[in-house]
Amino acid sequence: MLKKTVIVRPELCVGCMQCMIRCAQAHSQSKSLACAIREEILAKPRIHLGVGPENKPFPNKCRHCEPAPCQEACMPWAIRDDIAQGLKIVDPTRCIGCGMCAMACPYYVIRFYQDAGAPERPSVAVKCDGCHERVAAGAIPACVAACKTGALTFDEVNLYLKQGTNRLANAVYGVKA
Amino acid sequence: MGKRDLSEYSICKDAQAMIAKAREDGVETVWDRLREQEPHCGFCELGLSCRNCIMGPCRIDPFGNGPQRGVCGADADVVVARNFGRMVAAGAAAHSDHGRDLIETLLAVGEGTTADYGIRDEAKLRRIAEEVGLAVAGKDAKAVALELAEQFFNDFGCRRGSISFIDRVPAKRRALWEKVGITPRGIDRDVVEMLHRTHMGVDNDAVNICLHAARLSLADGWGGSMIATEVSDILFGTPTPRTSKVNLGVLKADQVNILVHGHSPIVSEMILAAVHAPALLAKAKAAGAQGINLAGLCCTGNELLMRQGIPMAGNHLMTELALVTGAVEVVVVDYQCIMPSLVTVAGCYHSRIVTTSPKAKFTGATHIEFDVHNARQKAVEVVELAIERFKVRDAGRVEIPVEPVEVMTGFSNEAVLAALGGTAAPLIEAIKAGKIRGAVGIVGCNNPKVKQDYQNSNLIRECIKRDLLVLVTGCVTVSAGKQGLLMPAAADLAGPGLSEVCKALGIPPVLHVGSCVDNSRILQLCGMLATALGVDISDLPVAAAAPEWYSEKAATIGLYAVASGIFTVLGLAPPILGSKVVTDLAVSGLEGVVGASFAVEGDPVKAAELIDARIRVKRTALGLTP
Ligand code: SF4
Ligand code: SF4
Ligand code: SF4
Ligand code: SF4
Repeated sequence: MLKKTVIVRPELCVGCMQCMIRCAQAHSQSKSLACAIREEILAKPRIHLGVGPENKPFPNKCRHCEPAPCQEACMPWAIRDDIAQGLKIVDPTRCIGCGMCAMACPYYVIRFYQDAGAPERPSVAVKCDGCHERVAAGAIPACVAACKTGALTFDEVNLYLKQGTNRLANAVYGVKA
Repeated sequence: MGKRDLSEYSICKDAQAMIAKAREDGVETVWDRLREQEPHCGFCELGLSCRNCIMGPCRIDPFGNGPQRGVCGADADVVVARNFGRMVAAGAAAHSDHGRDLIETLLAVGEGTTADYGIRDEAKLRRIAEEVGLAVAGKDAKAVALELAEQFFNDFGCRRGSISFIDRVPAKRRALWEKVGITPRGIDRDVVEMLHRTHMGVDNDAVNICLHAARLSLADGWGGSMIATEVSDILFGTPTPRTSKVNLGVLKADQVNILVHGHSPIVSEMILAAVHAPALLAKAKAAGAQGINLAGLCCTGNELLMRQGIPMAGNHLMTELALVTGAVEVVVVDYQCIMPSLVTVAGCYHSRIVTTSPKAKFTGATHIEFDVHNARQKAVEVVELAIERFKVRDAGRVEIPVEPVEVMTGFSNEAVLAALGGTAAPLIEAIKAGKIRGAVGIVGCNNPKVKQDYQNSNLIRECIKRDLLVLVTGCVTVSAGKQGLLMPAAADLAGPGLSEVCKALGIPPVLHVGSCVDNSRILQLCGMLATALGVDISDLPVAAAAPEWYSEKAATIGLYAVASGIFTVLGLAPPILGSKVVTDLAVSGLEGVVGASFAVEGDPVKAAELIDARIRVKRTALGLTP
C-alpha cells in the first residue's frame, strides 16, 4: 500500500486557521466542536501558522522525520514510532516535559500544554500525530479535510511529485494546466 | 453527490428519485455544494468570527490557545452576541419588509391608484381598523384602507410609543416586557438600532445585546409579520378550510407548469388570476398543452394554498429538484429563500426563472418587474413566456416521480374560531379536560445538514401521539402534508383525546395555519388563550419547534416565540456556542427573564420528550392533570 502523507504548499495558504481549529477538534475527547470547546482540558492544534513578510501565512507541522532529531533527543522514549507506521507520536504518559525534543526539532512544531492523555502532568509535548486514528478509520487528516485552498493535501509523495513534474512539463511547453 | 445512499438525503420518494435523476443529468444540487463546504468554518459555526470593521477581520480561538480578543478588544461573548444580534435583525428585516410591501399595496388600493388589487375581505379590514383604534363608521372601504395603511406605516418608524398590535399581547406579558425593557418600539427603529449597537464600540455587553435582539424580534412577530398576515387576508381573503395536494406529483406532464416561489402573495395571486384567463388557456392549447397548471413552492406557495387551495410542489429542499423533473416551464419568484442555484439548474433544462421584484434580481434570470399598477399585465407576460417554453420542453427528459398526497389547509384563527362556534371556549375546555394536552407550533425550513423532512415529520408524529395539537407553517407544512399528516384521517395516529376531538370536528390533528409570517397567527392565538384564562403566555401548555431550520428569519421567529413566553426547541444550534454567556442565556437564563428558553435537540423523540415535560409542568401549574 502506498504511504500517504500531508503535503504542505504554503503559497496556497490564506491564513484562515481552519486547519488549526479542526486539528484541535480532532484531538479532543468528544470530537464535536461544540463539546470540544467545553472540555476541562482543552485540546490544542498541532499545526501552526507562521506570519511571514506582508502577513503571508505559513502553515507549519511535524514532518515525521526519519531519523527524527526529536526522538533521538528524548530520554524517556516518549516519542514513539511503534504506534503508527512512519509517524512519530508523543506518548503523553511517558513525556516528562523536559523540552529536549523542541530544542532538537529544526521546524519549531512542538508545543507544551496539559493534555487529556495524561491529565496528571502539568505540561507535555503536543505535536502532530498524523491523525493516525482518523486515517485508520478511512478518513483523511483533519487539517487536510478543513483546508479549502489546496494548501494542505494528503497524498503519496512520489505520486504528488510526479504530477508536479507533469505540470512543469506542460508549463515548459506552454500548455495551460 | 458522492456514493451515499439516497435515503440519507431525504425521507421523501420524490426527492430521492429527483436526486438520482440530478446525478444522471449531471445537475449539481444543494447536497453536492454542502459536501464541498464541509467541514464548515469552525469559527463561524461557533459565532466567533467578526467582520464588523477593518481593524479585523478577527477570530477568537475557542481552544484558548490563540487570540482571545478581536483587535478592538471584543471578547468571545461580545463577538457572538453581536453576530447573533445581526442575524436576528436580518430575519426581522426580511419579514417586515415583506409586510411593508403589503401595506404599500393596501395604500394603493386606498388611494385608488391600482386597478389590479382590491379588498377581498372588507369585514376584516373594518375589524382590524377598529382594533387598532381607527374610526371606521360611515367611511367606505377605500378610505378605511388608506387610514389603515398609514397607521401601519407608522409602526415601522417610532413616532408612537409602540406598535399597533401591542394590545393583542396579554397584560401580564406586556408588564414583563416593560419591566425588562424589551417592549418593541418600532419595526425599522429596532432593526436599525441593532445595526447601530453592533458597530464597533457601541453595545459591548453580551446580555444587553441579546435583550435588544429579543425586542426587535418582537417587533417582527407582533409587528412586521403580523401586519403581513393581516393585510394579506384583507387584500386576498381570510383563509378557510379546504383541501388540496402536495409533492412533485402535482406537476402535470401534459400541461404548462408554472411554479410560484418566494414569500409574498402580491405576485403569486396575480399569476393565479392569469392562468385562468381564457385567452391564455387557448394559447396553451394551441401550443399542445392540455391546460396551465399552477403550483407553489415555499411560503408564497403556502399563501396560495391557504387562501386558494393551490397545490404545493414542495418545500425548501425541493426547489432545485422540482426543476430536475424537466416538466417546469417557469418558476416565478419574488424574494427570500430562493437559492441562486436555481438559475443554473433551470439552465440545464428548458426552464426559466422569472424574477419580479426590483429588490431581488438574479443574474441569468428573466426579469419581469411587477408593481401595483402593472401586475395583471405582467402576470400575463409570465404565463405567455411559460407557454413559449412549453413548446421547447424535451418530453424525453420529463420524469414526474410520484402521485400527489391530499392535504387540508386554511386554518386561520378566524376559521378555527368559526369551527369552534365563534369562541375559543371549546378549545379551552378540551385543554382543561386534558383531551388536548397542549399545542405545539412546529415551523421552519429544511436544511441539507439533516435528512429532509425526517425531523419535521417525526416530531409532529411524536407530539400528536402525546395528545398535543400541532400547528404548522412554512416548509414544515409540506413535510407534514407529504406524510399524510394534514388530513383528518391522521387523527388515527394521535393520542386518544386529540383523536376524539379531531374526529368530532372533522379536522386533522395537525393544522396548517399558513406561511412563515403567519406564525403571527399562532402568537395571536396564544395571546387570546392567555387573556381568556387571565394568565401569561408563558403559563400556557404550549411550545414551539423549528426542527430543520436554516434561515436568519427562523432565528428571529424562534427568538420572538421565546420572548413571548413560548419554550422553543431548535433542531440545529444557532451560531452562538462560542460564547458561554450567550449559550447559557439562550438555554436557561432567558427562563428567568422572559419565562421561556431555547433547547437544542436534533432527535425528534427526545425533542418531543422535552416538549412533553414542559407541557406537564405548565398544566400542573394551572391545576390541570399533567
Ligand atoms: S517534531 Fe520536528 S524533529 Fe520531530 S519528527 Fe516532527 S519535524 Fe521532525
Ligand atoms: S518533552 Fe517529552 S517528548 Fe519531548 S523530549 Fe522531553 S520527554 Fe521527550
Ligand atoms: S486551512 Fe489551509 S488555507 Fe487555512 S490556514 Fe490552514 S493551511 Fe492555510
Ligand atoms: S469590530 Fe473588533 S472584533 Fe470585529 S473585526 Fe473590528 S476589531 Fe475585530
